[in-house]
Amino acid sequence: MEEVKDKIVSIEKPELIAPPEWKPVIVGILCNWCSYAGSDLTGTSRTQYPPNIRIIRVPCSSRVDPWFIIKALQTTADGVLISGCHPGDCHYISGNYYARRRFLVTKELLKMVGFHEHRVQFSWVSAAEGAKFAQVVKKVTEDVVKLGPLHLYKKENFSK
Amino acid sequence: MDYSKQIQDIAAKLFAEGKIDVFVGYRMNGFDDNQVPVVINDPKEVPALVFTEKSVFNLSNYLKADHTRNKRVGLVVKGCDSRSLNLLLTESQVKRDNLYIIGIACEGVVDEKGQKMQNCIECIVPDAVVYDEMLGSPRGKKDYIVNADIAGLAVKGLVERREYFEEIFDNCIRCNACRHSCPLCYCAKCCIDQETATIYNGSNTASSAFHALMTWSLHLAGRCVDCRNCEKACPSHLPRIFCINRTRR
Repeated sequence: MEEVKDKIVSIEKPELIAPPEWKPVIVGILCNWCSYAGSDLTGTSRTQYPPNIRIIRVPCSSRVDPWFIIKALQTTADGVLISGCHPGDCHYISGNYYARRRFLVTKELLKMVGFHEHRVQFSWVSAAEGAKFAQVVKKVTEDVVKLGPLHLYKKENFSK
Repeated sequence: MDYSKQIQDIAAKLFAEGKIDVFVGYRMNGFDDNQVPVVINDPKEVPALVFTEKSVFNLSNYLKADHTRNKRVGLVVKGCDSRSLNLLLTESQVKRDNLYIIGIACEGVVDEKGQKMQNCIECIVPDAVVYDEMLGSPRGKKDYIVNADIAGLAVKGLVERREYFEEIFDNCIRCNACRHSCPLCYCAKCCIDQETATIYNGSNTASSAFHALMTWSLHLAGRCVDCRNCEKACPSHLPRIFCINRTRR
């Protein structure tokens, strides 16, 4: 029994494991009708793009509460990408206009409290723009890599 | 600026005519010269009503409580209070027919130390914008003064702004007094209340304060009327208005 215990402890010892190299984590929140289909097209047409993005599918870009962005930045994300249909192309007629107004305010506020403007980015990608989606992800990843890891207001820095 | 006598007369008259069920005003707090809001049901309590430059709190906040909802209410409003009342009327939270509003042509209120409050110095609409009866002589609109602190903060670098706000979030104790004192936060169940503490990381860390205050500011974006009841209520004396002012467009 004791031997097993020792083994487990030795496995879990943090100094035995080398610290992993930092890789940016980007949370991508994509609208179901345009950008998610666009990212699907990127995949089916075998276009390469950075694997740092974690995609969440939402019914419409107006479904994205600013709360989601704040929560992502507070927990694991180093950057957030939100993408929806082009203005005028919304599946629900005017959803992305609401989203656009909300994002402007959110971005302004996050800039005010000390986040670099490249941490949170918005783009419009239609279902036919697979190549554009790859470009957008590449650009966002490069921006976030330049800025480095995000430590501001992270949950784990304040664990009690 | 002492309208105590006029307000007492009006309140007594309204109660006698049966026009109102309750009256919301200020009274002395009983142990120093500061004032607290009071809700009066009984005409006998009318002589306790006062209004001086120490009447700082926003009374339109009390229209969302149960003891005034669906009743005919008499109310005293200053310029800033009337703006928030106007927003409550616009968003169909209170009925105009149920209200008897005593507007004040406000000359500015003072804080506990006797200094004129910062928002009164910057106030551009000191007169009540919605009222049944106006006390004092209207002073008209003033020119907009940009808050020097906000203007200074906006041109500062990312790092300075970050340090400034880190201190604010660090000193926040998550008591939610700002959300309770805000006249525009009338949701019966609020997403930043401690009931949903698991979502907001519960404990009062800078991280959770960041999350809660940011969300709260975004819910008020474009609606804030600059009454600064949140600052008056904050036990940590945090200048919360900076967040909101930037989102006012």
